[in-house]
Amino acid sequence: MKLEIGRIYIKDIQLGNETSVKNGVLTVDKTSLIAKLKEDDRIKDVKIDIAKPGDKVRIIPVKDVIEPRVKISGGNNGFPGVTAKPAQCGEGRTHVLYGAAIVTVGDIVGFQEGVIDMWGEGAKWTPFSQTYNLTVDINVVDGIDPHTHEETVRLAGLRAAEFVGQAGKDITPDEVLTYEMGSIFEESNKYPNLPKVLYAEMMITQGLLHDTYIYGVNAQTILPALLHANEELDNAVISGNCVAACDKITTYQHQNNSTILDLYAQHGKEINFMGCIMVPEHTTLAGKMRASDYTRKLVKMLGADAVVVSEEGYGNPDSALLIICKKCEKEGVKTVLITDECAGRDGMSQPLADTAAEAVAVVSGGNVSHVVTLPPADKVIGNAEAIAVLAGGWEGALLEDGSLQCELNAVIGSTSEIGYHNVTCRLY
Amino acid sequence: MIITNNPLVAEKYENVLWTDGSVEKTLIIVRDFIHQGYELVSHPLAASLRMLFSPYRSIIINNKKEKLNFEHAQIIEDSIIKYKKHMDLRKTDEKTRDDYKKIDLLLLEAALSEEKGKWY
Repeated sequence: MKLEIGRIYIKDIQLGNETSVKNGVLTVDKTSLIAKLKEDDRIKDVKIDIAKPGDKVRIIPVKDVIEPRVKISGGNNGFPGVTAKPAQCGEGRTHVLYGAAIVTVGDIVGFQEGVIDMWGEGAKWTPFSQTYNLTVDINVVDGIDPHTHEETVRLAGLRAAEFVGQAGKDITPDEVLTYEMGSIFEESNKYPNLPKVLYAEMMITQGLLHDTYIYGVNAQTILPALLHANEELDNAVISGNCVAACDKITTYQHQNNSTILDLYAQHGKEINFMGCIMVPEHTTLAGKMRASDYTRKLVKMLGADAVVVSEEGYGNPDSALLIICKKCEKEGVKTVLITDECAGRDGMSQPLADTAAEAVAVVSGGNVSHVVTLPPADKVIGNAEAIAVLAGGWEGALLEDGSLQCELNAVIGSTSEIGYHNVTCRLY
Repeated sequence: MIITNNPLVAEKYENVLWTDGSVEKTLIIVRDFIHQGYELVSHPLAASLRMLFSPYRSIIINNKKEKLNFEHAQIIEDSIIKYKKHMDLRKTDEKTRDDYKKIDLLLLEAALSEEKGKWY
């Protein structure tokens, strides 16, 4: 399978009368985009805005972040199985508006947080303060049930990304990246002496606001599934998860999964990267046992020497992460875990809800309990009242000068468990 | 059986043990059942820190077995410790309690749907 990602560098964004990229400036036709989104009669109102790096702007509550792209050859445009008919992802050529992002905003439930600050202290903690953001704030018609509400906002974001992505159709990319890998047998013949490594990506799959979709299939209903490393990089996986702001994997992060990209970079050099197992995170213990057994089976069947396991969320997913670790290590498969920590304000408490003696190689994506102070914004995109939700965690979080203190937990993508973020680990 | 402090769950389902207490009290009731030989069907904790702020939690347990399931006893004990450690510093989100009620019910129903058509 061969995928070419053509990056078109975006250096600015504006609203206008056409949707185009000229000299790195992305212009979005707001009226046409709103008309397009309102083809969905569940949408009452759409507000489109822009937020650039350095602007004193706060976006809250963020539902999802999506990278605008267009398919040039192979497969189908958009998100196959969701916004387009099913097709193979991971082949052909895709153009990416690199540096731009669609950010969907809107309350589905009152306790959503999910903040992106485009400037100052808050900007340091989220990778989406560095993107040129087109915000899409969706208001749905009255009387809609929560499942339909979530679906409406999710689809609107994906369709907006597809609409904006069209601007890259006839543009020559600034850079073309090639991702190519043969069958497992071909690659193993090519690199007989390199350790065979699989990536097991856990996804929250537990119901409303806690879902992930692969080719449009709700992953709560699947057994762990084997994907070619190219598929997720080419729109096969989308997020329906909008509660765990800091460590949920947004659609943008699926499209640019750092763990896949890093493993790819070492393929043929230090390792033989065999592909991805998409592992559902169930809320039931039976589901956790089934998913972990099946993951171990795939790892053994494919003859992997090592597996990298990334988590999504915190709490019951910690149990599932460690069950997978125990089972794979017992089979003699070297297992590396990527998680984040909930280690108290000082970072000194036990970081996970569970522990295991087999978890000997663990990478931390950061401490979600770390407290940050966010100064007042000049402009709030979304719902300013949601800021009170941020401050709702403990007494005294709202300071006299209007700044508020919150935990990293509330900042989108701040402690990513697939490594697409700004925090790193340091040994000392 | 569902052990819950969520009135929406108690109204909608039979075979519910409802408590008007806190999430912590709900977890402790679950622990006492596990110590008597019942097994966990759903995990006591939710999947994100934000859901720990919920004033409501519903947990499914299975029929009583002859022996104590030590693994499940460990899970519920660890969950209580973890929950208390978090909530000592934080408070439940009362402003949006009605939303938490609904989401707790919907997440419970997602767990129940996973268990449909099983007999063990």
